[in-house]
Amino acid sequence: MHASDLAVDVLLGLGVAAELLCVAGVLVMRTTFDRLHYVGAATSVPAFLILAAALVREHLSAGGLQALAAVGLLFLLNPALLVATAQAARRIDEPDEP
Amino acid sequence: MLASLAPLLVAASLRRPIDGLVALETAGAVATLTLVCLSVGLGQSIFFTVAIAAAVASWIGGLVFVRFLGRWT
Repeated sequence: MHASDLAVDVLLGLGVAAELLCVAGVLVMRTTFDRLHYVGAATSVPAFLILAAALVREHLSAGGLQALAAVGLLFLLNPALLVATAQAARRIDEPDEP
Repeated sequence: MLASLAPLLVAASLRRPIDGLVALETAGAVATLTLVCLSVGLGQSIFFTVAIAAAVASWIGGLVFVRFLGRWT
């Protein structure tokens, strides 16, 4: 077994495990704001672990660059969505607040 | 990871709308990462385009839902 195959397996295993942990957090946590933490986490650490596995396999080929783009978009766009969701949740939970 | 979409979609349908949206956003991220893994596994670089489209589409869809939820509840 090549070292790169081992690296891909380890990175992918860690990425999937971390992603499942974030999904469990979203399902288990009590309040909306607690769950939003895990949505933010779902597009950072696990996404970069899976991206690292993809880059080890694809290197900087066309596929590797597109994987970089997909995970980069996830990572850069998601915070704006989280903030908007948190504002909507606050407006729903505390309608009297200004 | 695909299996984790099932409980997310159940949560999205059973919980309050805003909590369902949180679950939907997570499902969007999981689906995008699953598509990246499938593209690498199948060895077809054209499939990465689907992952990029999924990343953008789930983001736009989330923003549209947030807009409606924030305004009409």
